[in-house]
Amino acid sequence: MRVRDRFELPPDKAALHRRAVRLEWWTIAFFAAAVALLAVTLGQSQAMKAAWIEDMLGLVPPAAFLIAARYRDRPPDARFPYGYHRSVSVAFLAGSVALLGLGGYVVHDSLTRLLAGERAPIGLVEVLGVQVWLGWVMIAVLLVTMAPAILLGRIKLKIARQLHDKVLYADAEMNRADWLTAGAAVLGVLGIGFGLWWADAAAALVIGGDIVRDGVKTTRSAVANLMDSRPQVVGGREPHPLPGRLLAAVLDHDWVADAWLRVREEGHVFVGELLVVPTGEDGLLERLEDLGRWARDFDWRVHDLVVVPVTRIERGPAEG
Amino acid sequence: MRWLPLLVLVLVVSGCGLPRDVDGSLERVRGGALRAGVTDNPPWTEVGDGEPAGAEVELVERFAAGLGTRVEWRRGSESALVTALGNGELDLVVGGFEEQSPWIEQASLTHPYADGHVWALPLGENAWQVEVERFLLALPEGEVDRLTGRP
Repeated sequence: MRVRDRFELPPDKAALHRRAVRLEWWTIAFFAAAVALLAVTLGQSQAMKAAWIEDMLGLVPPAAFLIAARYRDRPPDARFPYGYHRSVSVAFLAGSVALLGLGGYVVHDSLTRLLAGERAPIGLVEVLGVQVWLGWVMIAVLLVTMAPAILLGRIKLKIARQLHDKVLYADAEMNRADWLTAGAAVLGVLGIGFGLWWADAAAALVIGGDIVRDGVKTTRSAVANLMDSRPQVVGGREPHPLPGRLLAAVLDHDWVADAWLRVREEGHVFVGELLVVPTGEDGLLERLEDLGRWARDFDWRVHDLVVVPVTRIERGPAEG
Repeated sequence: MRWLPLLVLVLVVSGCGLPRDVDGSLERVRGGALRAGVTDNPPWTEVGDGEPAGAEVELVERFAAGLGTRVEWRRGSESALVTALGNGELDLVVGGFEEQSPWIEQASLTHPYADGHVWALPLGENAWQVEVERFLLALPEGEVDRLTGRP
């Protein structure tokens, strides 16, 4: 049996992952450009300062993804005998906390503005010698920054599901949060234009609540992940179907009288222990090794499965 | 969210009269008087015993005449006038203020004119603000220097 095995994604998934890496570099370029654009065009406004901080937080999930991408497939070594897959789970937690922080910031900022009855002054600017109401310029900048966020978010969501990549999922959620807040700001600026001083803060508050909900959901999922919860599907709390399917397939072997499986998620892959009660001891060692290899071939996510023969399995009361 | 671009388009088309005021300052000034605060800062403003004078006082009078209204002057310290502005008792305050003024939180400063000088306006009265800024930006070259008597 080979120990310290290096994990590789299957070719089609590896291609997807390379695509995701490229997308994340684009995301970083986009957010960096947005941060610069907002800093230059809309210096003093409070509402724009909020948009600016949002864009800076938007850099966290793609950065976490790219850092994790450098570590995730390193072979296990003496210091990290279980390998580096968990770097993906750590990145997922970082991205989720950034999303939650963004939601908290938007809610706090809009509530303070609403309670203080803050009225946003938006006057004239000169753009290339033409006098324009600054509100139109703000709306144009916001709409320009919305389009790439919508596109990037949609593509990432699709890849995240196929790749079982939760960091990418958290980042797609971040992009969604970003274009939603930009949309809210567009409505808010228009509201200010109509003389409704509360429109900006009220729109931001609604969107902020939505981001907090997403942030809580992903942070819970990331913490559960690190607590070795049973694997969950990407973007939901439903159990992942793979462990159940694997156990059923193991029980289908005619030399297996009983079996028990426990797996956890380490980034892209599932890792755990399989207990089997054999019907006899003829060639048991070879059968066990074969079973281990068979399980790894069963699905690309099954990576590090320890197969242990036992005489009988006593199930605890809490096990379904 | 497919309807969002459409909604934005409708709002933009219907929004050609934007921006509007929260408290209707521009309409009130047109129909009544321009309530202006002035604090002493020669040569921009001079507040003696008689009528206020100075370059910005002259400009406010000219602006009010353009709107077909008259000016009601109120003298006071910078902080008292800015507080009155925040309470909605004044429509603008002049006193040779510059762009980096410290009370940006309580008043809205106009687009700078004549080397970074600004007027203070109430927050959120954006139609009013745009009207004032159009006037300031349309001033002919050298006009402000002529009024202040600067070389």
